[in-house]
Amino acid sequence: MNREKQVRFGFGVIATLSLLAVVLGLFVLSPARLVAEETVHPELAEVAVSQPAALPNSANLPENVDFMLRMAYQAQVQEPTGHPQTGDMACKMCHSDTDAEVEFESGETMPVQVDLAALAMSVHGESAENPLACYDCHITINDYQYPHEEVTAVNLQDYQVQTAATCERCHNRPHITNHPGQDAAIPVTCTSCHGSHEVQSKETWDSDEAVKACTDCHQQAGVELTDTEQMRTLIRNGLFADETDSDYCLACHSQPGLTMTFPNGDVKSVTVDPEAFHASAHGANNSWDELQCTDCHTDYQYPHEEITIESAREFTIVMNQACEECHVQYFEKSLDSVHGAALLDGNLDAAVCTDCHGAHDTPVLGDEPRAAISHTCEQCHSTIYNEYAESVHGEALIGDDNQDVPNCIDCHGVHDIHDPTTAAARARSPELCAECHANEELMTEYDISTDVFDTYVADFHGTTVALFDYEHEGVPPNTAVCYDCHGVHSIKAPDDPHANLQENLVENCQQCHPDASANFADSWLGHYRPSLENFPIIYLVNLFYLIVIPFTLVFFIFMIATDIYRRIRERGHKKEAANE
Amino acid sequence: MSKETQKMYPRFRMWARIEHIILLVSFTVLALTGLPQRYFESSFAVDMINAMGGITTVRLVHRYAAIVLVLGSVYHLFLGAYRWYVKGERMRIMLRPKDAVDIYETVKHNLGLQEEPPKMPKFNFGEKIEYWAVIWGTAVMIMTGFMLWNPIAITQLFPGQFIPAAKTAHSAEALLAVLSIVIWHFYNVLVKHRNWSIFTGNLPENQMKEEHMLEYERIEAGGDPYPGLSLKAQKSRKRAYFIVATAVGILSLMAIYWLFTFEETAITTLPAVTREVFVPLATSVP
Repeated sequence: MNREKQVRFGFGVIATLSLLAVVLGLFVLSPARLVAEETVHPELAEVAVSQPAALPNSANLPENVDFMLRMAYQAQVQEPTGHPQTGDMACKMCHSDTDAEVEFESGETMPVQVDLAALAMSVHGESAENPLACYDCHITINDYQYPHEEVTAVNLQDYQVQTAATCERCHNRPHITNHPGQDAAIPVTCTSCHGSHEVQSKETWDSDEAVKACTDCHQQAGVELTDTEQMRTLIRNGLFADETDSDYCLACHSQPGLTMTFPNGDVKSVTVDPEAFHASAHGANNSWDELQCTDCHTDYQYPHEEITIESAREFTIVMNQACEECHVQYFEKSLDSVHGAALLDGNLDAAVCTDCHGAHDTPVLGDEPRAAISHTCEQCHSTIYNEYAESVHGEALIGDDNQDVPNCIDCHGVHDIHDPTTAAARARSPELCAECHANEELMTEYDISTDVFDTYVADFHGTTVALFDYEHEGVPPNTAVCYDCHGVHSIKAPDDPHANLQENLVENCQQCHPDASANFADSWLGHYRPSLENFPIIYLVNLFYLIVIPFTLVFFIFMIATDIYRRIRERGHKKEAANE
Repeated sequence: MSKETQKMYPRFRMWARIEHIILLVSFTVLALTGLPQRYFESSFAVDMINAMGGITTVRLVHRYAAIVLVLGSVYHLFLGAYRWYVKGERMRIMLRPKDAVDIYETVKHNLGLQEEPPKMPKFNFGEKIEYWAVIWGTAVMIMTGFMLWNPIAITQLFPGQFIPAAKTAHSAEALLAVLSIVIWHFYNVLVKHRNWSIFTGNLPENQMKEEHMLEYERIEAGGDPYPGLSLKAQKSRKRAYFIVATAVGILSLMAIYWLFTFEETAITTLPAVTREVFVPLATSVP
């Protein structure tokens, strides 16, 4: 072997060993990468596969780089075991040890060296479950090839903003977007806090020390979200979360004074009191689990899409449909109600679920005093409420929290509130009053006669209403019902000096009987049963027939019975005669 | 004994048979439209009323039938007056002491305490009771019905409680009338035997003998079934009757029309009342 051969052999051995060393080194540093990328980041797979093929033409490569790149490339394509590889070994070869800097137009400089150890230890690094390759992130600025194209960013911050945009390819709704976004004058991007290559896991961030970075910055910037615990919850839920929990939303929406402006200029508060929500029917007391904001505000993302609904009221009506998800039965009833009908007619003032129940502070049923129900109706029907509040029922309810007197919904219904002006409503109204006033047990407590309904029905008016088939007639009965004399909402006790029932009786009659006299009004018995003391003529007429009818019938039946007795006997005699 | 072999005896003239039809129709309609109003609490009554077109229609029909009944009653008075004044007939429907004896003897005979039944005249005690019950009942029903029809006019003259008293009487009398017809009348003319004389005008011999022996014997002896006095002045009486009857008839028709239309008791349609219901509070309670 001559000297030349020896040199060549030695060079060959070194080259082979070097190649082996590089392959070994890479194998240790980057396990099972390509497979993970393909499965976890399918949107990146194409890039990952195509990148090695785009290896630059060696003719243009600097001398010392050329050799290393070629080896690295060969190592990758010749990988015999099929071990997945990222194609970023080439990137790392240069960027791991270089003094090169990018110089921006602004004069700022940025070193291009990457701390590979830090990268490997990062949440995206080789030790991670789903490691990323360099080009997984460095894709959006320009198609990374060698030699790299000119950096387009004019300054460092601009560059960071551009690069950070790539984070959102995986982190759909990262909390970073709560921060002044890319378009802001002073943007805060992902990398501002997380760094670029040394990004840490959320577990790492979920500590008071880590979060201190956030709170410090917030304090500096005058942001009110500085509570460490709240911040940590945010971090727990903010990454990769399909459905954010309420605390995520409340981080912003619990801040006082938040408003939303609609196209028509309406301004609506979007501040939610977390404690009120927690105490509400949908909060801790909810039957299966506390509702989350997104249970009702579905398809909400941050940053929120711009509201296209014209006005705050329309927004309420549209949002109200969320209630149907769980409360179908009541929702449908409400559609059949007078409110639903008005809404269908285009009356946007018509009450929807949240107008009565509240949106975020829905009280638990039964927790509130009964008067709260009437106060709810008062919100829209204030004049009627005022009448009711002065009535015998209203005074008892509002003054004494009486549990027996009717409030609005006891007569009008709850969700299927019917139109009170229909024929049916008028014809059925006495029965409605009778539900309580004919209830012996209930009325005894208040020393009220339960005869009122029976005596009313015994009267011509009551009989007519009882017989009145409103469906058949199609018009409301024109005979007096309870409320024609007693009032609708302003019902007073009969002995109330303001009731004036007796004084107003003739006037009341004249509403329907224009020629009525005082005598005529006396033909109404005032809910009394006729007796010798009250209305003796009626009592005696009734007594007369109570005697005459049975006596007459007994006489007829006696005569008929004797006649039948004779006829049976005679028939027997005839048969005997025929037999003989 | 088949019907064909029975000799038929004249019992009711055409005018009386027409009168019965008028009464039958008006009474039936009045009962059908009236009794369900008395028993308004039963669902059957409500169904009946709805089947007849609703309470408003039923009450209207009841009033028209009432007018027919009133006209029938006027007709009866005219017919009776004609027979009594022009034809000189006796009012054989009048109650007599013998009717009480007939009741007593009929009961005894029925119980087997007396061999022979009492001999009864053209109208026996049962028919007389029924006739006078109808007279009484119709009078009560027309009077009380009129009061209920015109309560405002009535209370110009009488105390207010007359109206509910009239209602009580009207309702109770109606029940009595219907029960009397169903029990007494139907037993006597349909159940114990079929008596169609009020439609055909004639009664067969066996029924004549059983219930009207005196009338049977009188006709067999050659008596006129409808005996009247042949008054000398019959022609002039007839003329006078028709003049007076026409005048009274027209007057009573006018009176009936006036009495049943002069009062507007109640407005038929409730005036529409509108009020503002949506009056929201200025500041909502949180």
